[in-house]
Amino acid sequence: MNKILLIIQREFLTRVRKRTFIIGTILFPLLYLGLIFGTGYIADKTRENLNIAVIDKSGLFNDELFRSVNAGDTLNKIKLVSDNIKGFNESFDSMGYDGYVIIPQNFNWQTGADSNKILVNTKKSFGNGAIDPIEKKLNLLWTKIKHDSLGLTSQKDAILNSSISLKLNNEKNKNADAGIATVIGYVSGFLMYFILLLYGSQVMMGVTEEKTSRIAEVVVSSVKPFQLMIGKIIGIGMVALTQFLIWIACIFIIYNVGKSSGNMGGGASGMVGQIQNVFTSVNLPIVVGCFIFYLLAGFFFYSSLYAAIGSAINEDMREAQSLSFPITMLIIFSIALMTPAIANPSSPVAVWASIIPFSSPIVMMARIPFGVPNTVPWWQLGLSMALLIAGFMFTTWFAARIYRTGILMYGKKPSWKEMIKWAFRK
Amino acid sequence: MNILEIQNLKKYFATQKAVDDISMNIEQGSIFGLLGPNGAGKTTLIRMITGIFYPDSGNILLKGKKFEPESDAKYIGYMPEERGLYKKMKIGEQALYLARLKGLSKNDAMVKIKDWFKRLEMESWWNKKVEDLSKGMGQKLQFVITVLHEPDLIILDEPFSGLDPVNANLIKDEIYRLAQNGTTIIFSTHRMEQVEEICDKIVLVNKGKKILDGTVDNIKQDFKENLFSIQLERIPENISSSAFEIINVKKVELIVKIHDGFKPNDVLGYFMNQGIGIVSFKEMLPSLNDIFIKLVEGTPTARQFQSMDN
Repeated sequence: MNKILLIIQREFLTRVRKRTFIIGTILFPLLYLGLIFGTGYIADKTRENLNIAVIDKSGLFNDELFRSVNAGDTLNKIKLVSDNIKGFNESFDSMGYDGYVIIPQNFNWQTGADSNKILVNTKKSFGNGAIDPIEKKLNLLWTKIKHDSLGLTSQKDAILNSSISLKLNNEKNKNADAGIATVIGYVSGFLMYFILLLYGSQVMMGVTEEKTSRIAEVVVSSVKPFQLMIGKIIGIGMVALTQFLIWIACIFIIYNVGKSSGNMGGGASGMVGQIQNVFTSVNLPIVVGCFIFYLLAGFFFYSSLYAAIGSAINEDMREAQSLSFPITMLIIFSIALMTPAIANPSSPVAVWASIIPFSSPIVMMARIPFGVPNTVPWWQLGLSMALLIAGFMFTTWFAARIYRTGILMYGKKPSWKEMIKWAFRK
Repeated sequence: MNILEIQNLKKYFATQKAVDDISMNIEQGSIFGLLGPNGAGKTTLIRMITGIFYPDSGNILLKGKKFEPESDAKYIGYMPEERGLYKKMKIGEQALYLARLKGLSKNDAMVKIKDWFKRLEMESWWNKKVEDLSKGMGQKLQFVITVLHEPDLIILDEPFSGLDPVNANLIKDEIYRLAQNGTTIIFSTHRMEQVEEICDKIVLVNKGKKILDGTVDNIKQDFKENLFSIQLERIPENISSSAFEIINVKKVELIVKIHDGFKPNDVLGYFMNQGIGIVSFKEMLPSLNDIFIKLVEGTPTARQFQSMDN
C-alpha cells in the first residue's frame, strides 16, 4: 500500500510540476471558449451579403418601400432598377449587383406570381442561405403592399401580428431552465470527453515510456506490476482532478470578485449575472459532485484499458494508434450519443446510454444538469454509478492481466486476440 | 550457509521450456557466475529469483525460508541487462524514489545515496537528468541504484557491458568490497574471462537445463586434458616416449599430452635424460571459454521454438 502511495506521488508530482501542466490549465479554458465563440464569430463574418437589383414589371413596388426595408438590414441590399436599361442581364455585375430579380407583369398583390418561385439570376453560385435575407425583405415589402391594399390601420396591423410564445415550466423545479441545462450539459459532456481522451492517452504513453526505457523491469523487481499500473492510473487521475478543481475554483473566484466589486457595470456584472443565473437554475453541488465521480470512475474505466495497450506496444506510435482505435471509438461513440440525449434527456436512448458503463460518464453528465431526481431519477443515477464502478473494476482486472505480461514482452506487436489470451491465462 | 536455494524450478512459455527443472544452491558471501549462451534461460531464471515471474513449479528459498516477492524485495538488488531509468527525472530524486520503493525510509535512503554518490564521485549529478548522462555514467548510476538499499543478494546481468576499463575496475572493486562484507553476488554473463577472474562458483545453463555446476577450479580440473607446455633450450630431432605425445610445436615450446598412468615427472625425466635444459614447465588448464564452447557447441546458437503438446 505504501509503495502504491509512493508511485502515485511520483506520477502526480512529476506531471503537476511540469510547465506544460500550468500552461495547459490556463490555456485550455481559453481555447475551449475560443472554439465556441470563435466558430460563431467566423460563421457570422463569412456570411455572404448580396446586393440584388429588382426589376418591377408589375408596378406594385416603389422606391419609398425599398428605402424603408434597406434601413433595417444594411448588409443585404435590394434596389429597384428600371427595366429599360440595355443589356442589364449581361452587365449587372459590373454595375455592382450580385444578381437581379424580375417581378413579373402578372404579379398579383393578393396571390403573388403565377409560378411559385421567382428566380434570382446570378453569375456565381451562392449558398442556399444567402438569399434568405433577400427573400425576407421582398416579403416585407409585399406584406406592406397587402396591408395597404386591404386598408388596415396600424392598430389592426398589430393585432394581426401578435403571436403566442411558449416556455417550458417544470412544476417540481421552478428554477429549471432548459436552455442553461443544455449549455451545461454540453460543456460537461465535452469536458469529460476531452479529459478522458487527453489523460487516457497520457496513461498509455506513460506506460509505454516505462516499458521502452526498461525502467519497468527495475521497478517490478520491487513492486507488483499491478501496483505500478494502478499507481500510475491514480496519479494521473489526480492530475486531471486537480486541473478540474482549479477551473471550478477560478469560476468561484471570478464570481465572488465580480459580486464584491458590485455594480461596476459592463462585462463583469453581466458575467456575474449569468453565473448567478446558472447557480439558481442548476443544482450545482450535484452537478459538480457527479462530475467528479464520473470523471474519476470514467477515467479509471478507460485509462486501465489504455494502460493495457501501452504495455503491449513498443516504441512505434503507429502501433499505439491502431491498438487504441477501438477504445477511442467507444469514447467518440459516447459523444455522438450525447447530442440526442441532450435534445431528449428522458428518451430511452438517453436513459440506457447513461446507464451502460462505457458511455455513461459522458451521457449521464449531459443529462444531470436537467435535474435530479426529476429528469434523472435516483434509481438511474444509482444504477449508472454502480455499473460504472463494476465496469472499471472489471477493466482494471482485465488490463492488469495484460499489463503484467506486456510490460516485459518485447518484439512483435500483439493483436487484440493475443492480448485477450494473456488476460485469461492462469 | 546457503542464502539462496533453488529446487526443481520450471517455467514454460507458450513456445519454450525457458527454465526446465533447474536446482542450485548459492552460498552466502560468494560471487556466483550464472553462465549460458543467449536464450539459455538465464533471464527467466533471474526473473523468478527477483519475483518478477512466478515459477510454474519448484521452490525458491531465500535465507532458508520460502521466497515472498513482496516482502523479500528489500533483500534483493537486481540490475537487468537492459538498463532502465526514467530519462526525464532528476538523478537524485530518481535514486531516492527507487530506494524508497525497495522499502527504505526517506532519511535512510538519503544518507545512503549521499554516501554512494560521494564514494563514486557522482555528487555533482544530483540535479542532472538521466538523459544528460553518457552511457557509462548511466551504467554507474544503475549500479549504485541496484546496491543502494544494501541487499543481501545482488543480481547483476552483464554488469560491465558499456563500461570503460577505469569504470569497470571501479565497479569490480565495489563488487569485491560488497562480497567481503557478506553480500552474495550473482553474476549473469557470457563473458568468460570476467567470470574466471571474479567468480568462486559457476553454473552453466543451456536450453533451460543446468549442464555444469561447481567451483571454477574444480571445473577446470574436470575438463583438463592433461596438456602441459614445456619450454626447452633446444628442441631435439626425434622425440618418442610412451609417457606423452606431442600436440603442438612452437619455436622452443612444446605442447604435450601426458598419457594416462604417467606423471609430469616422466616428461621432465625424459628430457633431462637427454641432457636438454628445461626453461619452464606448466600445466595447461582449459579456459572456461573453451569449456563453454565445448559444452554448448553443436546445440544451435539460438533456441528453436519447441512444441509444447505435453
